[in-house]
Amino acid sequence: MGPLAVNEFISENTNLFLAFIIGIGFGWVLESSGFSSSRKLAGVFYGYDTVVLKVFFTAAITAMLGLLFMSLFGWIDLNWVYVNPTFLTSAIVGGVVMGAGFILGGFCPGTSFCAASIGKIDGMVFIIGLFIGVFLFGIGYDIWDELYMAKYLGEPKVSEALGMRDGVFGLLLILAAVGMFFVAEWAEKKFPREEY
Amino acid sequence: MNPRVILAAAIIPLGLIIAAVPQNTTKPYKLTAGQLLEEVNSRTQFLAPELIADMLVSKDPSIRLIDVRPQDEFEKFSLPGAVNIPFSDILSDEWTDILHQDIKMNVFYSNGSVTANEAWMITRQLGYENNYVLEGGLNYWFDNILNPQAPTSTSPSEEFARYDFRKSASMALGGGGVVPADGSSAPAPALPAIIPRVAKKKVAGGC
Repeated sequence: MGPLAVNEFISENTNLFLAFIIGIGFGWVLESSGFSSSRKLAGVFYGYDTVVLKVFFTAAITAMLGLLFMSLFGWIDLNWVYVNPTFLTSAIVGGVVMGAGFILGGFCPGTSFCAASIGKIDGMVFIIGLFIGVFLFGIGYDIWDELYMAKYLGEPKVSEALGMRDGVFGLLLILAAVGMFFVAEWAEKKFPREEY
Repeated sequence: MNPRVILAAAIIPLGLIIAAVPQNTTKPYKLTAGQLLEEVNSRTQFLAPELIADMLVSKDPSIRLIDVRPQDEFEKFSLPGAVNIPFSDILSDEWTDILHQDIKMNVFYSNGSVTANEAWMITRQLGYENNYVLEGGLNYWFDNILNPQAPTSTSPSEEFARYDFRKSASMALGGGGVVPADGSSAPAPALPAIIPRVAKKKVAGGC
């Protein structure tokens, strides 16, 4: 019965080791899907390349289906799976900052490490910027403490807010994702770019 | 064939299945019978009434008393700050947030210690932690904390120390032979704010 670490089937250190292996796999998939190219990443904003949308939505619905089926078979207790608590204001502000940084820098935090690891200088510069941001956030914490902690909502689920079962919401999300994939492919044909 | 079509052909049927089947809400039993027997035998779930009295007098916020007797008995008399969760209701979802948490120390009590211990066994079998039982129950509490008997003059000095403690605790907790039985005591306190379970571990993620 999962989660393995919470139920002490595996030790904390084994858990970290597994995270390390999975992390390497994640980085490898990012790099081989072309996520270390900032032009490819920025493409999702202009419509000429929507690989970001497709990869992350595929990952999300695959993980969602996996968890729902494992819960159905009694292999994992979803109550014990850690869910990031929602602080609404900071989620919105953080999303805007992250999105702006994404367009400006051409990377998101994970992909910048991906790019740096294959020797891209812009990726390394992005990482330096990332640490400067972390540092500024840390020393100025008193200033935005209130904003950061505002509108705490606990760990809400969309399915609960809509009053439907997790599985029904899962199906809707899958249909939305598949629909979006077709729109994305259409956009790629509509706004093509020769070389990037 | 187009990979999108293959993906859609695989994932949409799976989505249909997961939407059609009922959600798995079974609570997994975490202890085997042997493990539970071992825990019951170790008697570590019992907390001494003196300890509880001391915590109540010092208004320790980490303790939460849970009265597992029926509601009418709870209304006649309850310990200060106790929450009433009748034993027959203990599996109700309403109480999960109180019983399944790792912030407060829940102490079950009943008239004796049998019902409280049964409540502890059930919650323990569900895998809940931080639940304890008041040793001796309310009967022992009345006889020894609220109405302590003075030791004989030949008793060892520890007996006198214990008596002094019980006497002062008794005064602080409204004892001293006065046992409100007509319901005129302070009204049952409101339920404390429900504290969400905190996750065991923080796992940061993102792209």
